[in-house]
Amino acid sequence: MFRYYLRLGILSIRANPALSALMVAAIGIGIGACMTIVTIQYIMSGNPIPEKSDQLFHVRVDSWDPAEPYDEPNEPPEQLTYLDATALHAAGRANRQVISFLSSRVVQPAGEDSKPFQTQSRATTADFFAMFNVPFAHGSGWDKSADDTQERVVVIGQALNEQLFGGENSVGELLTLSGEPYRIVGVLDEWSPVPLFYDLNNNEYNDPAALFLPFSVAVAGEHGSAGNTNCWKPIEDGGVEAFRNSECIWIQMWAELPGEAEKAAYLQFLDAYVEEQKLVGRFPRPLNNRLDNVEEWMDINEVVDEDVSVLLGLAILFLIVCLLNTVGLLLAKVMKRTKDISLRRALGASKATLFAQYIVEASMIGLAGGVLGIGLTWLGLRGIENLFSIFEFVQKLVVMDWVMVLAAVALAIVSALAAALYPTWRACSVTPAAQLRIQ
Amino acid sequence: MLQMNNVSKIYRTDTVETHALREFSLKVEEGEFVSVTGPSGSGKTTFLNIAGLLEDLSSGTYELDGRDISKLNDRERSKVRNEKIGFIFQSFNLIPELNIFDNVDVPLRYRGFKAPERRKRIEESLELVGLASRLEHMPAQLSGGQQQRVAIARALAGEPRFLLADEPTGNLDTNMADSVMDLLGEINSTGTTIIMVTHELTLATRANRNIFVRDGSVSDGPGDLQLAAVAG
Amino acid sequence: MELGPIWRAILRNKSSYALIALQIAVTMAIMVNAIAIIQERATQMARPSGTDEDNIITLTSVAFVPDADMRTMIDEDLALLRGMPGVRDAIATNSFPLRSGGWSMSLSTEPGPNSDGIGTAIYFSDEHAIETFGTNLVAGENFAADEITWNNREVSTWPATGILTRALAEELFPEETGSLVGKTVFINENDPVKIVGIVDRLQAPWNGWERVENSMLVPSRRDGEFQRYVIRTEPGMRDEMIPRIEAALAANKDRIIENVRSMTEVRERSYTGDSAMITMLTFIVSLLTVITGLGIVGLASFSVSRRTRQIGVRRALGATRPEIMRYFMIENFLISSVGIITGGILAVALNIYMVQEFALTPLAWYVVPIAMVILWLVGQAAVAGPARRASGISPSIATRSI
Ligand SMILES: Nc1ncnc2c1ncn2[C@@H]1O[C@H](COP(=O)(O)OP(=O)(O)OP(=O)(O)O)[C@@H](O)[C@H]1O
Ligand SMILES: [Mg+2]
Repeated sequence: MFRYYLRLGILSIRANPALSALMVAAIGIGIGACMTIVTIQYIMSGNPIPEKSDQLFHVRVDSWDPAEPYDEPNEPPEQLTYLDATALHAAGRANRQVISFLSSRVVQPAGEDSKPFQTQSRATTADFFAMFNVPFAHGSGWDKSADDTQERVVVIGQALNEQLFGGENSVGELLTLSGEPYRIVGVLDEWSPVPLFYDLNNNEYNDPAALFLPFSVAVAGEHGSAGNTNCWKPIEDGGVEAFRNSECIWIQMWAELPGEAEKAAYLQFLDAYVEEQKLVGRFPRPLNNRLDNVEEWMDINEVVDEDVSVLLGLAILFLIVCLLNTVGLLLAKVMKRTKDISLRRALGASKATLFAQYIVEASMIGLAGGVLGIGLTWLGLRGIENLFSIFEFVQKLVVMDWVMVLAAVALAIVSALAAALYPTWRACSVTPAAQLRIQ
Repeated sequence: MLQMNNVSKIYRTDTVETHALREFSLKVEEGEFVSVTGPSGSGKTTFLNIAGLLEDLSSGTYELDGRDISKLNDRERSKVRNEKIGFIFQSFNLIPELNIFDNVDVPLRYRGFKAPERRKRIEESLELVGLASRLEHMPAQLSGGQQQRVAIARALAGEPRFLLADEPTGNLDTNMADSVMDLLGEINSTGTTIIMVTHELTLATRANRNIFVRDGSVSDGPGDLQLAAVAG
Repeated sequence: MELGPIWRAILRNKSSYALIALQIAVTMAIMVNAIAIIQERATQMARPSGTDEDNIITLTSVAFVPDADMRTMIDEDLALLRGMPGVRDAIATNSFPLRSGGWSMSLSTEPGPNSDGIGTAIYFSDEHAIETFGTNLVAGENFAADEITWNNREVSTWPATGILTRALAEELFPEETGSLVGKTVFINENDPVKIVGIVDRLQAPWNGWERVENSMLVPSRRDGEFQRYVIRTEPGMRDEMIPRIEAALAANKDRIIENVRSMTEVRERSYTGDSAMITMLTFIVSLLTVITGLGIVGLASFSVSRRTRQIGVRRALGATRPEIMRYFMIENFLISSVGIITGGILAVALNIYMVQEFALTPLAWYVVPIAMVILWLVGQAAVAGPARRASGISPSIATRSI
């Protein structure tokens, strides 16, 4: 019987090739537009470290201006002062803790004719690699002792190792960065979390820095922050020292806290720390310390670009228009065939057979629309890649994985069935007699 | 009133040419009631279509009220149909999505009458066919005979001088057919010229004159004889 | 003419007409809001940066030799650049308009920590800045060469003079009608800055900033290892100067030169998101209009073929061809109107939501009527084909019953 319906469906589709093509195109285009934006949104809001995103907490303490909050309504600043970052890190109250900031170095490759180039570097502390599950191809991160002794060690990314050492194990080699020699202790494997959750203040779709080096070394070498520096209080006279003692915020901190109890305890510790600082005249605002896990922190920072949300809303409306279009055309087809249907009913067709017949026809159109939709999604992503071609990070946002392919097919079939439901119901409710009455 | 000389009508399809009318000549005077009979496929409907300006003729001449029809353009023909000619179709041809009132209204709208005038005419003509109480009904809610009477009302509402009917009783039972024939008789008595195609001889006899069509031409064959026999 | 019967016939077949009306309504809602966003972005992109964009080259110089003598390096570089034929002027600065990175400070008219400040971008440079950017000094005067000082990141004593954009000066002194040159403002809470000049326009580096027209030129240069050079060439010589400048600066091997870009390119990068948004929305709206148009064509074709007989009857009853055509045009007009009016309400509601949710500029009054006219025309154009086909149906259909 199913094959009979298939044949009827094909006949009916072939009987109106232009209209059938229009329906397939409408579903396909609607799905394509929707899935293009959904894919980008899916990647933008993806969980970059699902295995422990609920154990990693971004640390904020409210050291800001008594006159106004850092951000409305009462958000503490997203970064820490040098004083607080180093003190909280030294206290070591979490299982692991990391302080870091983004900077840049000029890499001077060995050899006379090789050209120096600038690249991003992250100044951070020893726990960084274990805490964020950073994969190593060779070697490892550095010990806490390297932080303490300001040892010039560096971990380099896969791409940089490829560029400088042709992908060989370069652990132990010396690398000159802005005139200073560093010893390579580790080379990363392929690693590019999207979004770059541990630093959402700078471009959240950037690649990780190519260089990781000890925080203490960067501070001693006066590496300037490439990220934002915000101050609410004028810096006292006195150069670098004054800047470090200022209320300017420029350092990010994360803590690893495996459970609720640890989190509560750490929050208590932060509160106690702030109370203590209040005694020496710092932290003029009321107690307002925050610990946010990776997904909460991504929400707060609105990692999904507002434009994407707007486009997603419009794309969904777009799909609705395409579906209304299909419903309208299917319905028109039914209406045109009411005489035929009532004749069939008079000849003994049951509602169930009519239902099966129309649903099979609609599913075929839906399936065709879905396949077209996948193709158009791919095209749409290429289009977006093209629009943003000057920004390398866009490459990461326009990849279609199998989840999205399945989602596109599912969306297409669900859409087509939804579109078919009403016309099919109308077809089934045609009475055997009524339509034959008017000639 | 109507004069056809040597009219022929050829339908061409890819494979065949059908001579639906050939050398068809006929003259109908004002106020006549003419019935048209003939075997199936002989060209009766074709004749009616041409007489009613629904179709072009292939050759010959056709004058209606002294005007050569072939000289009229589409607009003028529409106007003639609208003002002078009333149609009653075998299959009623009411517009299913309009109620009775709006159905009768259709030709009056094209005529350009004002609303009160239209209302008056619609009500009068539906009164005439005995359906004045059904203004709001949809065609699907009426019986076949009632639908046919609405169709007659629609044909009469514009007070045409020329009424063309293609088997107006073909879909009706004998009683119904009789009352429709009575109605046509009445209309004819007010001076309206009627040409009616039918294949029921009893009905044909109610006309003043019968023409018999065979193979696309008027023939004075058995038609008149039979009529004479019935009449006699 | 026959609005009444057409409308009643539509009501008989509500569901299929309601669908097309709804489709038009949603199309309208999308179209109106997309146009509103496009308009907003286009307005933003059209704002001039206040610089001679066609003739400006920017680049970054990064020194990497420890303890390099930055001041000498900068002076030498600038002397070299300014001396090149084809170069009109050049400066070293911390940032420039459209760069999307820079330094902002707060200015106020009263000293002290509690006065309300007005945010402004700071450009550290020298007396060549006005000429290099190509902005116009509209009041007061330029810095004198001997006024220029050096500073570094931990600057704590501010130069006592500044040149402000007109927008900034007017925001600081909204009541003042006379000249603002000579007035004093306070930076870093207590440091006085005297306004010595006012330029008509020089945007801050961040194009999305609400105070993008606020910037201040400061007669002091920073001696950090990161330097941004802005070079203005003689008209029309920009592109040929780029390789020459790169070659000239390459002689000094103690630093690297990066990001050599024309100001046009800087602008493109700065507005990539906006121009992409405009492209995508234009694309979506056009596609949508085409789909809705084709949907109308499809439905009208169905409607015509379903009514073939009825059309024949109408013709037999005296309808002329134009009258048949008009029937379908009017029918479409009525349905479209329902959709367009519903869509207008939907569009405004959606816009109010987006204004709240995404801080969009509210709709300009004329967008809704424009979208209405567009959709009416699309509907009429779409129905014209099927309507023309309908008008060609022969009246003899009426007697040739099937
Ligand atoms: N549109 C057409 N194309 C081709 N041939 C046609 C067309 N219309 C009518 N004919 C042919 O013309 C001839 C006359 O047809 P017509 O309808 O006039 O017959 P009729 O006398 O009305 O028959 P009946 O009594 O069965 O209604 C027939 O042979 C028919 O097949
Ligand atoms: Mg016939």
